[in-house]
Amino acid sequence: MDIEALLKTLEASGLATKIRDSLFLFPLIESTHVIGLALVFGTIAIIDLRLLGIASTQRSFERMASDIFKWTWAAFALTALTGSLMFITNAPVYYHNLFFRTKMLLLALTGINMLFLELTARRTIHGWDQAPSAPRTGKAVAVLSLAMWIGIICMGRLIGFTTSRAAAAPPPPAGVNFDDFLQGAPNDPPK
Amino acid sequence: MKQFAAWLSTTSLSVYIQHHNSWVIPAIQSIHIIGIGVVLGSVFMICLRILGSAGMDQTLRQTTSRFSPWLTSGLCLMLVTGVLMVIGEPVRELITFSFWLKMFLVAVSTLIAAIFQVNLRKQERRWEEILVKRRSIRGLAVLTFVIWLCIIILGRLIAYDHVWGSWSPATKA
Repeated sequence: MDIEALLKTLEASGLATKIRDSLFLFPLIESTHVIGLALVFGTIAIIDLRLLGIASTQRSFERMASDIFKWTWAAFALTALTGSLMFITNAPVYYHNLFFRTKMLLLALTGINMLFLELTARRTIHGWDQAPSAPRTGKAVAVLSLAMWIGIICMGRLIGFTTSRAAAAPPPPAGVNFDDFLQGAPNDPPK
Repeated sequence: MKQFAAWLSTTSLSVYIQHHNSWVIPAIQSIHIIGIGVVLGSVFMICLRILGSAGMDQTLRQTTSRFSPWLTSGLCLMLVTGVLMVIGEPVRELITFSFWLKMFLVAVSTLIAAIFQVNLRKQERRWEEILVKRRSIRGLAVLTFVIWLCIIILGRLIAYDHVWGSWSPATKA
C-alpha cells in the first residue's frame, strides 16, 4: 500500500470521522496535547538546566533522572497519542504540510540527541553525578535539546495556522433531530 | 465589553499585530505555550514533592525555592504574551466564555499559591514534614494541579468557544 492510499484510509476511518463530526472532541484532544507537551517540555527543561549547571546544581543527576524521566515518557505518550488522533482527522493535509514535516524531523533529532547523551556523558556519570554541571558533551546535548523542543512547539503552532480544519460530514438534508445540534463543527481554521 | 474590544482593536499596537498577524500571532502563541511548559512543569514538581513522589532528597522549602522563581517568571511571560494576544485579537479573546472562566481560575490558583508560600515561610523547618503529611495540604496540591489543567484546556477552548453553546457570547449575533 502506498503512502497516499494509507493516508486516505486513515482519514476515512471510523475514528477519524467520529472526531471530525464531534463538536468538542477535537478541541479536547488538542487541549490534552497542550497539557502533554507542556509536561514534556517542562520536565526536559529541568534536566537540561541541570546538565548546563543553571538550576538544581546541588542534586544528583541520577536521582533527578529517576524522579523525572518516567513522567516525561508518560507525558510524551499522551502527546503522541493525541497528536496521532489529530493527524488522522486530516492525514493527507498534515502529511504534506511543511511545518508538520519539520516538526517530525526535529522530534527524530531530539531522539538521536538523547541517545547520544546515553552513549557519551551518561557512561561517565559516576564522575560528575554530584558535580554542578555535566561534561561538555552533556552541555551541548542540553543546549540542542532546549533549542529543538522550542522549535517543535513553534512548528506545532504553525501547523494550526497553515492547515484548514477537516470538514465535518454534511448534516442530513431533511428533518431536524437532536443529533443535528451535536454534530457539525464549523470549518474555521483553528488558531 | 464589546465596545471596549472594538476600541482596543483600533489602538496602534493592535493594528500593528493585525497587520503582521501571519507571523506575530503564531510567535506570541508559541512563547505563551513555552510559558505554560515552564509553569506546569514547576507546579508539577512542587506537587510531586508534596505527595512524596519526587525530589525526596530535598526539603519542601528547597523544592519551592528551586521552582518559585521559574514559576513567577513563567507567569509573567504568560501575562505579557496573554495581554498581547488580547490586544491583537480583542474580539476573539474577550467575547468568549472560556476566556473569563480561565481568568477566574488563574485568580483562584494564584491565590492558593500565594497563601501556600506565605504559610510555608512562616513554618519552622521541622514542621515541614508534618505539613506535607497533612491530607488537606496534599489535597490542595492536587487541586492546584487540576486547576492548571483546566486553565490550559480553557485557553485552547477560546478558539472553539462554540462548544459552550448558548453560554458563549461569541455564538450570539
